[in-house]
Amino acid sequence: MTQPNVTLRGPDVPNTPGSLDPVFTVEDLSVFYGDYEAVRNVDMMIGRREITAMIGPSGCGKSTVLRCFNRMNDLIPGAHIKGKILYHEEDLYGDHVDPIEVRRRIGMVFQKPNPFPKPIYDNVAYGPRVNGIKKNMDSIVEEALQKAALWDEVKDKLKQNALSLSGGQQQRLCIARAIAVKPEVILMDEPCSALDPIATTKIEDLMQELRQEYTILIVTHNMQQAARVSDRTAFFTADVDDAGVRHGRLVEFDQTTRIFTKPSDKRTEDYITGRFG
Amino acid sequence: MAILSTPRSQVDLVGKGRPLREHLFRIALLSSLAIALIFLALLLAYTLTEGWPRLDSRLWENFPSVRRPETAGVLSGITGTLWIIGLTALMALPTGVLAAIYLEEYADNTRWYNRLIELNIANLAAVPSIVYGILGLGIIARWLDFGFTVMTGAVTISLLVLPIVIISAREAIRAVPPSIREGSLALGATQWQTIYRQVLPASIPGIATGSILALSRAIGEAAPFLMLGAATLVRFNPDGVWSSFTVLPLQIYNLISQSREEFHILAAAAIVVLLAILLLMNSLAIWLRNRYQKRW
Ligand SMILES: Nc1ncnc2c1ncn2[C@@H]1O[C@H](COP(=O)(O)OP(=O)(O)OP(=O)(O)O)[C@@H](O)[C@H]1O
Ligand SMILES: [Mg+2]
Repeated sequence: MTQPNVTLRGPDVPNTPGSLDPVFTVEDLSVFYGDYEAVRNVDMMIGRREITAMIGPSGCGKSTVLRCFNRMNDLIPGAHIKGKILYHEEDLYGDHVDPIEVRRRIGMVFQKPNPFPKPIYDNVAYGPRVNGIKKNMDSIVEEALQKAALWDEVKDKLKQNALSLSGGQQQRLCIARAIAVKPEVILMDEPCSALDPIATTKIEDLMQELRQEYTILIVTHNMQQAARVSDRTAFFTADVDDAGVRHGRLVEFDQTTRIFTKPSDKRTEDYITGRFG
Repeated sequence: MAILSTPRSQVDLVGKGRPLREHLFRIALLSSLAIALIFLALLLAYTLTEGWPRLDSRLWENFPSVRRPETAGVLSGITGTLWIIGLTALMALPTGVLAAIYLEEYADNTRWYNRLIELNIANLAAVPSIVYGILGLGIIARWLDFGFTVMTGAVTISLLVLPIVIISAREAIRAVPPSIREGSLALGATQWQTIYRQVLPASIPGIATGSILALSRAIGEAAPFLMLGAATLVRFNPDGVWSSFTVLPLQIYNLISQSREEFHILAAAAIVVLLAILLLMNSLAIWLRNRYQKRW
């Protein structure tokens, strides 16, 4: 077997599978768009202060699953789930759960940087403001920008429109914006796919910083990126059922080192070595 | 050797020139534009020269008169028009924008009743204004017993422009990229916060432009007021929403139907005033759009 040319996280992987401290426990999750079952029977656990990567071919439902964790799928008419996602023992889709509160605790960074067409300062302050925070806004904004490694670049132009920033800066601003609400988890859907290699490296370094404090889930098409940054990796693929309908499913979920060195499933191996499809 | 034997000019960049069709198409486009502009310019020039002798302060300082054309003016028409438009803006804009927000942000357009509403708004926008006049007369003036007042006129005109306001506001709201909404919601903002703080500010230029254009259209309307039976020889300014009134288009219509030449000149001058009000409103629309666009 040819090994993929990737740098692997060495023995510093903090948790062995046995010691995973779950923030999310996904139990037999299926996601539907109307009648269409986009993803089937997913079981996985997201460890606290770990980076979990979700990889797999296009259309296998990575974004779909990711958007379940902060209930963004609720916004799509007809989208619903079966099964369970537990967030610290609490059923994320329980009757009394307020999706607004969920999204405050579980932040999200999108594939395409989507800063608001407002000053940089207001972008970062937006989350705290809509959550009713009025005091110490300056220090909240500064702290978030510091953590997102953007402060030095923008501290003199906080009043400038966020759209005047470069793509990479915009994406870090979106990360700062998410951090400013002090979430526990940050979901990232291909956060670097619109960025050049240097900006990508910056975001990856940033993720390493952030994992001291946050739990991170990242969807990526970049195998090296998954191998470089993540502690655990979930490999998804799509199967065609008897009726000819494609359903995404989780093939393998394990420590990243294992996925990239000795995957237990043939499909995972084929995918990461580029022999897929 | 093979290289040298390659014919020098295998790549032909000279082309065959633009085919005749391309030229004809361009000419057709340009002439359509020219026709529109030339007629507009002619119309303006004609009205201006025609009305020039009476384009002075007598026009907006005096009330109408059938006996003394030399001191007759259209003051009550100007104030009446301003009252109607002001009141219409107050009533139709908030209603229209809220309706548009509902249709764009809340309504599930897979439901048949929401689709029915949408379809009917489009139909309403196409209903001739005289029909709104009948509605105003039958329901607002008589049944609700509002009489022939500024209120009746404004409610009628509000109903007339409402579909257009809704349609243009919806377009402006739809132009706000979904990624902005998602970004806001993902930060724990409620739907209303997202609409109020992101979607509305981003769509205000479009909403303002569309609304002002809708109001401009209403300014030129005479038909619904004819139906409502608004008087033309009103010799006072409206002093409130329950006052009777007249509007500029009605006065112009009335002046033109007079037999004496002096009144025709007066009509042309009044048209210039009407055009000036329209131009002012359209400039306001452009100014609003630019100002908000610059902000972000
Ligand atoms: N809003 C939606 N309505 C209906 N079907 C959808 C919707 N979003 C996604 N799907 C379907 O669900 C399946 C999974 O899509 P998803 O976007 O989750 O894939 P993905 O793994 O993120 O792909 P990519 O790598 O291209 O982003 C696809 O078949 C897609 O067509
Ligand atoms: Mg995706």
